Amino acid sequence: MADRANFEQDVVEYLPQLYSAAVRMTRNPADAEDLVQETLFKAYRAYDTFQEGTNLRAWLYRILTNTYINEYRKQSRRPTETDLEEVQDLYLYRRLGSEQADDLARSAEDVLLDGLVDSDIKEAVDSLPENFRLPVLLADLGGFSYKEIAEILGIPIGTVMSRLHRGRKALQKALWDYAERRGLLPEEAKTQERS
Amino acid sequence: MSGHCDEALAQLYTYLDGELDEVAFTRIRAHIEECHPCGGAYAFEERLRVVVRQRLQEEVPEEVVARLRAVVARLCR
Repeated sequence: MADRANFEQDVVEYLPQLYSAAVRMTRNPADAEDLVQETLFKAYRAYDTFQEGTNLRAWLYRILTNTYINEYRKQSRRPTETDLEEVQDLYLYRRLGSEQADDLARSAEDVLLDGLVDSDIKEAVDSLPENFRLPVLLADLGGFSYKEIAEILGIPIGTVMSRLHRGRKALQKALWDYAERRGLLPEEAKTQERS
Repeated sequence: MSGHCDEALAQLYTYLDGELDEVAFTRIRAHIEECHPCGGAYAFEERLRVVVRQRLQEEVPEEVVARLRAVVARLCR
């Protein structure tokens, strides 16, 4: 069991990333700081139950995520029965015409990937239903494994995989819409869309 | 599209997430190295994932970290 006397030296290195994750979850810097503070209170109180030598980062994220879900998630963001529409695999890749594997398609990829700005990507992730948004944030921002995400969210690994995969595909569709608004799409792809 | 292409497509995320077992990983890696369409798709998805990860990072102000450090220090006093 971990010793509370070591709490400070053990957790300090995780403060920036906990805050960064909290901003993405709450989408509000003030709420994010409160959320991390509350996470630290809880973690300190429970630190004698933390199994030393196991994954402290995942343990802290579990407290962060649960605190967010229970106390910070706005009413409107509660998971609803409405589900994500099914999006085809390789959505962006295919719509960019990249299957043709020519130079034109390569450059279309570059225009899209370089042209999307931070806020496009953040808003596209924010637009995902909560059940899908949290696994995507934990995997693609937090870099956690399926098993770790399953433990953090308290859901089976199979559910993590399916939400993550469907969430990422839906993210691609949202990114396509941002790319269109920014005029980042190749002429041919736009024509296909209109027809 | 071969059966290998179907497998590569089905396992794309699991592969990029580093969650495939060694045998399947090796088989798919060999396939995407020789199959142009699958290789192109994997390369694009990998680039997209890097872009998403980078752009989701939040700037963490020094003063916020300082305040959080102070919270931890108070707890441990």
